Amino acid sequence: MSDGLSRRTFLKLAATAGAATAIPGCEPAARKIVPYVIPDENIIPGVPSYYATLCNECDAGCGVIAKIREGRVIKLEGNPNDPISQGAICARGQAALQGVYNPDRLGKPKRRLPDGTLREISWEDALKLLNDRLAAAAKAGKDRVAFIGASQGPTLDKIAVTWAQAYGSSRVAFWARINDEPARAAADACFGRRDLPVYRLNQAQAIVSFGADFLETWGSPVEQTRQFAEFRTPRDGTNGVTIGKAAYVSPRMGLTGAKSDLWVAANPGTEGDVAMAVLNIIASQGWLAKNAAVDAEAVKKFTAAFDPASVSQRSGVAVDQLNQLAAWLGQADGALALAGGDDPQAYIAAYLINALTGNVGRTMVFLEGAPAEATTRPEEVHAIIRAISSGAVDVVVAAGGANPVFTMPSEWGAAAAIKGAPFLVWMGEVPDETAAGAHLLLPTHHPLESWRDSAPRAGVYGLGQPVMQPVFASRPLHDVLISSAQNAAAGQTIAWENAQDAITSAWQDLQGKLAPSANATDFWNQALRTGGAFQEAAVTAVTLKGDVLNTPLAPRAESRSQFTLVGFPHIFFYDGRGANKPWLQEIPEPTNQIVWDGWVEVHPETAARLGLQTYESTYLYGGINVLEIATPSGRLELTANVTPLVKPGVLAAPIGQGHTAYGRYAKGRGVNLWEYLPAGSRAVPVTVRVLEKQYKIVTPLGKSDMMGRSIVEAMSVEELAAGRQPEIVREEEADTPKTAYEMYDPWKYPGHKWGMTVDVQACTGCSACVAACYAENNLPVGGKFEVDRGRIMSWIRIERFIPTAAEAAKAPNLYIAPIMCQQCDHAPCEPVCPVFASHHTPEGLNAQIYNRCVGTRFCENNCPYKVRRFNWFQAEWPEPLNLQLNPDVTVRGPGVMEKCTFCIQRITTAEIDARTANRQLVDGEIITACAQACPARAITFGDLNDPNSAIIKRRLENSARSHNQGRTYTMLPEFNALPQVTYLRSLYWEKA
Amino acid sequence: MGTTNRILIPIALLIFIGGAFTVAFSERPWAPRADVEQPIPFSHRVHAGINKIPCQYCHEYARVSATSGVPPVARCVGCHGSSLLGGIEPITQPWTDTHQPPFEIRWNRVYTLPDFVKFVHKPHIWAGVACQECHGPVETMDRVVPVHEINMGFCLKCHEQRGATQDCFVCHH
Repeated sequence: MSDGLSRRTFLKLAATAGAATAIPGCEPAARKIVPYVIPDENIIPGVPSYYATLCNECDAGCGVIAKIREGRVIKLEGNPNDPISQGAICARGQAALQGVYNPDRLGKPKRRLPDGTLREISWEDALKLLNDRLAAAAKAGKDRVAFIGASQGPTLDKIAVTWAQAYGSSRVAFWARINDEPARAAADACFGRRDLPVYRLNQAQAIVSFGADFLETWGSPVEQTRQFAEFRTPRDGTNGVTIGKAAYVSPRMGLTGAKSDLWVAANPGTEGDVAMAVLNIIASQGWLAKNAAVDAEAVKKFTAAFDPASVSQRSGVAVDQLNQLAAWLGQADGALALAGGDDPQAYIAAYLINALTGNVGRTMVFLEGAPAEATTRPEEVHAIIRAISSGAVDVVVAAGGANPVFTMPSEWGAAAAIKGAPFLVWMGEVPDETAAGAHLLLPTHHPLESWRDSAPRAGVYGLGQPVMQPVFASRPLHDVLISSAQNAAAGQTIAWENAQDAITSAWQDLQGKLAPSANATDFWNQALRTGGAFQEAAVTAVTLKGDVLNTPLAPRAESRSQFTLVGFPHIFFYDGRGANKPWLQEIPEPTNQIVWDGWVEVHPETAARLGLQTYESTYLYGGINVLEIATPSGRLELTANVTPLVKPGVLAAPIGQGHTAYGRYAKGRGVNLWEYLPAGSRAVPVTVRVLEKQYKIVTPLGKSDMMGRSIVEAMSVEELAAGRQPEIVREEEADTPKTAYEMYDPWKYPGHKWGMTVDVQACTGCSACVAACYAENNLPVGGKFEVDRGRIMSWIRIERFIPTAAEAAKAPNLYIAPIMCQQCDHAPCEPVCPVFASHHTPEGLNAQIYNRCVGTRFCENNCPYKVRRFNWFQAEWPEPLNLQLNPDVTVRGPGVMEKCTFCIQRITTAEIDARTANRQLVDGEIITACAQACPARAITFGDLNDPNSAIIKRRLENSARSHNQGRTYTMLPEFNALPQVTYLRSLYWEKA
Repeated sequence: MGTTNRILIPIALLIFIGGAFTVAFSERPWAPRADVEQPIPFSHRVHAGINKIPCQYCHEYARVSATSGVPPVARCVGCHGSSLLGGIEPITQPWTDTHQPPFEIRWNRVYTLPDFVKFVHKPHIWAGVACQECHGPVETMDRVVPVHEINMGFCLKCHEQRGATQDCFVCHH
């Protein structure tokens, strides 16, 4: 067919014709309008309504405000009334939406047939089956029913206990692998009370954390991040400008170490010993508080086994560093020692340091009226597991996301015991590892769909209301328990109709306690509106128990193994519950920047010792070595991530991955560390072997080195105080224009001019802003494959750089900053667009008009900040994840460029509101999603044309301290792009 | 010419012509449709014209929201079910006779905006733009048909005249 139509021509013709046929195939948007028959008076289509409720992603108990559009929750924000969140929430809280709309949620009750398959059954049949089995168990004897669940707040937990009692059982466990028991045991030992202290980081001048990663998962991260940012903000001290001094003692740097002045890399498990050595030095230096009522000799005797020299040898921490930590804690006017991990001794040492330096009652306080303990003590949980494995239990109910099969220590044999129970009932949202062996699976409401309350600390009573109708045919867990309890043996009466009833009656009691004279309806409505009842609890005076110094502590035995495996809770997955949320999988873990996978952190020295091949950038190549790590509970395989952010000899791996069930997003990634870590510890001695096998872990990161350019900048506190410019010499400095030059007339901004200031010093890299942006702006999630090809879609990202050896002396531990579109005045992206899709708005934004964009990607190539994202793939939101999409933001299709808009939908809405109300915009009325979410309040957004705006004030304040620009800088100034986003430099103390 | 071509060329042509016809005779999805039939013979002329019911009595969200809103059935029943008009009007009788509760009415959309355009009714109402300026003299129509093609030129002409914003980003985001 040389002279006729070639195959190629045919294909061309057919393609054109096919395309022509396809055009009308694009179905128009819904052609039908179906109005309400009877309208809901609280719903105005197109206008959001807001409900205060509670976040249930961890035990911190943050209050949140849910934004509802047309009856569906589409965004969560922190509740400004709530004393804990104070208007911010973390990435995990933002991603709670993907728990509600998770496509892998169980939709209907299911029962397991004898052949192992699951069959859907009706709720009536399911409840009958449940109640029959429970009744039979209760008939067989006492304590033949067990409940293992996560704590869901004081009232709901009471329902679970009542339910078990109705079936004659006291075996109720509120289980969490990461729990407060060490902290409570230590408080008992030191002060004779088991409640948790409340910390005031912002009232300290020095903080030393002995293993508490308080910026990631330990305690109440949102609150601590806010307080820590305050503590680290420059303020006027006695000798000029100063910031608080922080140190983090841990084998792994993490975000807490990155934001501290000192990262003290101690051997795993020796954090408590280091704290005791510090106490020893404090006592011998005579830094004990005058009113400590304990004489230094007693303290020295108590810490005799922890002399600096021997602790230094065991922990690998230099004596100089121990002295430094002791000096900070002993000499500062307000200091705080924190302890983390599972070792009660570390907590005892930290409490003693605080008490003996006079900081209990100041930076660490105990409040009157502390709430009851929420979680059950591990030994009691273990007893229940033993009872189950010995056959003393007939029906096990695993509920509320506790997932015991996944999280319990392997030496308990919990997985086998629970799966081997005669009848295992699982109640929850997304079927997890525990559900995999269950005989009956009952779908329960998500916390955002049900009633609850919380008592995170004295004086804070959170009230959680359902914010929308359930997505699936689920029921509230505690409604099921109450109806089941009512069905139990006659003669017992249950005080409540359902969970809502239990909550309202609990709040009536609370009113009697808090505001007996108030009108009951008013009190309830007020609580619903504000998210709870909040009071300032009085500080209780505590005294150190007399005998605490007479009970000597034993030094932790030195590990003789060459290598130690350390598990650390992943900042997004925590104990594993976050792993089924695609946003959390897609957002890079801040210090490693790895997505969708598990890994093991290996120091370059360790890597050399193991003979691991290392690369300049480990990720750019086909794959890297897999390590086989042999632990006492079995072997595991993880891919090495060679990084200097971990102590040599330590292998640190994130906890939370390694699910074998729990939905499509969680399944089959990495290793479940909980299986290999012993009870009561997060470190285990191991042996390591490098396998031939290679595996590719994926990151959007290019380089860990800034290559001498001005991306994230830092300066020393001394420089700031003296009004000097930082001495860092940047390669491109010579090219940087000294004054802004303009080739064309400058833009005129007659109305508003939007700008942003980011305080790099405050930013901890927690990535709440990134998650908030995903939620607000309908950012698609690509998955591992797309991220690997450079197609991550985040409009704002946390960029982290590791200081090189040369600059380490004059740099913070890590450079961390959020980078979003800089909204340049001279935007490099704008002039290169052939179709004017990227254009400059009269309010100073670099707009991207999707319907004009033809996808040349010239703008992306020309952007020095790499903040434009091209839609290479068709974004997918498997139902019902699509219900979360923000209707005010276009869902972009493939072939279109997109980028940060400074949340233009929020700007437009506020401008319309102001215009129709015939008033001026108020500063602070518009807040971008990233700025709103930020727990550290690092991001300020506002109108640069308004001289009284908060952003102008923040910029002036930070320039006014010195003769030059102070901390203010713009990123990559040599391009003369004139960004509307300015940054405030990170600070560090000059190393002596 | 080989046998292959004798088969391939007609097939290619057929697909091409078929595609071209489909394009030519299909309406643009966002273009106004003059042929929209409604499930019930509702007359704007009777309601807005003869009885002078204000537009926003039924389309009540226009002044507060992006969407003007199609009235809920309860709003119809408010008048038609009341003694004001002597109970159920004969005109609505056939509907209630043939339909079962909850009497959901599935209206056919007359105006469709393409994706990427965010139109908000609220500021237009507050700026004093009469409904008729975009929707035509609805009060004279028994069945609503579009008078203007609502495209960007139509929007911008008015925005230009009134000195309203012409920033692309305000509508396209």
